[in-house]
Amino acid sequence: MTPMLDVRSLEQEFAIGGGLFDRLRFERGRVLAPRKIVHAVNGVSFTINRGEVLALVGESGCGKSTVAKTIARIYRPTSGEIRIDGKDVAILGHREMLPVRARMQMIFQDPFASLNPRQKVRDIVAEPLLEQTAGRAARAEVTDRTLALLARVGLNAEHAGRYPHQFSGGQRQRIGIARALSVNPALIIADEPVSALDVSIQAQILNLMMDLKDELGLAYLFISHDLSVVHHIADRVGVMYLGFMVENAPRDALFATPRHPYTRALLSAAPTIREKRDVAEIELSGEVPSALNLPSGCCFRTRCPFAWGRCTAERPTLQAVGDDHTVACHLIDEPERDRT
Amino acid sequence: MTAPLLSVRDLRTHFHTFSGVVKAVNGVSFDIGAGQVMGLVGESGGGKSVVGFSILGLIDPPGRIEGGQILLDGQDLVGAPEEALRRVRGRQISMVFQDPMTSLNPLHTVGRQMDEMLRLHTDLDAPARKAACIEMLESVGISRAAERLGAYPHQFSGGMRQRVVIAIALLAGPRLIIADEPTTALDVTIQSQILKLMRRQIADRGASMILITHDLAVVSEMADHITVLYCGKVVERGLTRDVIGAPAHPYTRGLIDSIPDPRHRQTRLSQIPGTVPDIRNLPVGCSFRERCPRAQALCAQADPPLTAQRASLHAACHFPLTEAEAP
Ligand SMILES: Nc1ncnc2c1ncn2[C@@H]1O[C@H](COP(=O)(O)OP(=O)(O)OP(=O)(O)O)[C@@H](O)[C@H]1O
Ligand SMILES: Nc1ncnc2c1ncn2[C@@H]1O[C@H](COP(=O)(O)OP(=O)(O)OP(=O)(O)O)[C@@H](O)[C@H]1O
Ligand SMILES: [Mg+2]
Ligand SMILES: [Mg+2]
Repeated sequence: MTPMLDVRSLEQEFAIGGGLFDRLRFERGRVLAPRKIVHAVNGVSFTINRGEVLALVGESGCGKSTVAKTIARIYRPTSGEIRIDGKDVAILGHREMLPVRARMQMIFQDPFASLNPRQKVRDIVAEPLLEQTAGRAARAEVTDRTLALLARVGLNAEHAGRYPHQFSGGQRQRIGIARALSVNPALIIADEPVSALDVSIQAQILNLMMDLKDELGLAYLFISHDLSVVHHIADRVGVMYLGFMVENAPRDALFATPRHPYTRALLSAAPTIREKRDVAEIELSGEVPSALNLPSGCCFRTRCPFAWGRCTAERPTLQAVGDDHTVACHLIDEPERDRT
Repeated sequence: MTAPLLSVRDLRTHFHTFSGVVKAVNGVSFDIGAGQVMGLVGESGGGKSVVGFSILGLIDPPGRIEGGQILLDGQDLVGAPEEALRRVRGRQISMVFQDPMTSLNPLHTVGRQMDEMLRLHTDLDAPARKAACIEMLESVGISRAAERLGAYPHQFSGGMRQRVVIAIALLAGPRLIIADEPTTALDVTIQSQILKLMRRQIADRGASMILITHDLAVVSEMADHITVLYCGKVVERGLTRDVIGAPAHPYTRGLIDSIPDPRHRQTRLSQIPGTVPDIRNLPVGCSFRERCPRAQALCAQADPPLTAQRASLHAACHFPLTEAEAP
């Protein structure tokens, strides 16, 4: 069966650097204006099947939101394929994307910036629906649907007439979720959808997302840094670091036998009100390298407690270490160097 | 006991909207001693951020502080002139806002915004300010700090922006830091790095912190004591170990039970039934009663006052949980 989403060798670069004059350099008697390139996503591949939840976790700034926004085609990818239902949408134009957007909706990380402050909540929620039907949907039907969607996310009719600034962070995120659901998408790209929510509403939203998955066979790309949430909701987990996918595994395998040193560090750093998981402690030191200047070899070597010469010289590629479990780390070839 | 650094007494902050009065903060009291970390947790929309804004005097119409006191070293900030509040902000009390984009000016470089903080609140000269900015950026885990001073906020990821905001808040060495969801946008390795940094700053300078978050795991690792808000009121407070280990208020207990537990994965998470009541029309009696598994007739008649339970715990509940009922 064709997967719902099939991403292959996705790369996303951004050119930055203030004005031209900030960038001017004087080198060997010549004036140069080099372009600075942020390598935000460096060849990421994964698939998501219908009814499946893939969670993406990783360092802040490692490119998770960029992956999400590129798939949602807010950005045009530098290279790579984005297949939705088998069809590559990587280079489609705005108009050609319209029917694709009915299949795929995005919930944004920042509930403050992602809602238009001048629109009433009812208009925000109805917008994708009106866009899809080119405004032909009957008014009463749109109103009913909007109120039903708001009720699903725990808001009431009175809220529909308010503006976004009159809501708390968590309430705004629920408005974003209602909006995404309005066109009955098959794939939802959810960028930190619950990180602004308190745990009781988080539980409601996660239960709601799981119900929708069961009822409608929705697939999710779910970005989160809360590992207990990821453990609860994900079927598979992809771990990113500095724009690279460093590990990808079914949930239980990832939590029980994490292989990449970064994944192991993540699991041991997670705060909890309960006893710590049974994972050997790896504490990271060192600085996160800049995506402007990728290190040679392994992207993680500057913070990795195990790094040795090979890690500087050679970039590890993803290799299979178990059922559907892939890792990009040289330790797989030389396990005797793993000292924990 | 020495006098607390900050003492909030019966704070009431209301918003006068067209559709009624939103009593966002309605009679909140707590104390924070020098060097202490207080966790402020509760429902989204429960008034946590408004408490923080009130302390900084940042409530704009239609909002108003209707009553109560905010005593910093015994001096009341409620009703203090704007000029005095401006001197308090940044130097005495600084805030890390929940939304990193509103606290960073998109039109100015990060370096300029950091420099401004130091120019306003210290008498360092320009090279010393620059060195301090670079050191602070590095200490919150931003690489190539000197170069990044020239970057604009939009050139950073959400998490990196929040690290910049934290760096700015710490720059002038404030005595009280109000951190509103400071690490919500960060991954756990950076989160633990930043929490350690904040804790060290506090320990080194004897500063205090109000840590606003809904992440009970973070609070339980950081805070000395916890205050739980529901519908603008304190429903429970006490030492962290007591509040997390054996809460007396059913709302706190509901929050703890909603956290996904990796040891016992279930298809559905336990959730607190119902929704938060409309705070413009709170029911008579206890605000939590319609969602409470322990509610009885009394709860509909009288709003329970905050009373001493066991050990350090205070809870506002007619039928509090006992220690034997701990999770
Ligand atoms: N400008 C405003 N006008 C009207 N109501 C407001 C305004 N600002 C805040 N409120 C209301 O005050 C209440 C408390 O909001 P606050 O932002 O303090 O919640 P919070 O506890 O910080 O929530 P969250 O965890 O979601 O950030 C909410 O019900 C909100 O709707
Ligand atoms: N529009 C842009 N222009 C230039 N650089 C960008 C842009 N958007 C993102 N970046 C850079 O790309 C990298 C990845 O950023 P991204 O927002 O995808 O990270 P993230 O994993 O979502 O982080 P977080 O967990 O903090 O949200 C960062 O180095 C960021 O500075
Ligand atoms: Mg992001
Ligand atoms: Mg808030």
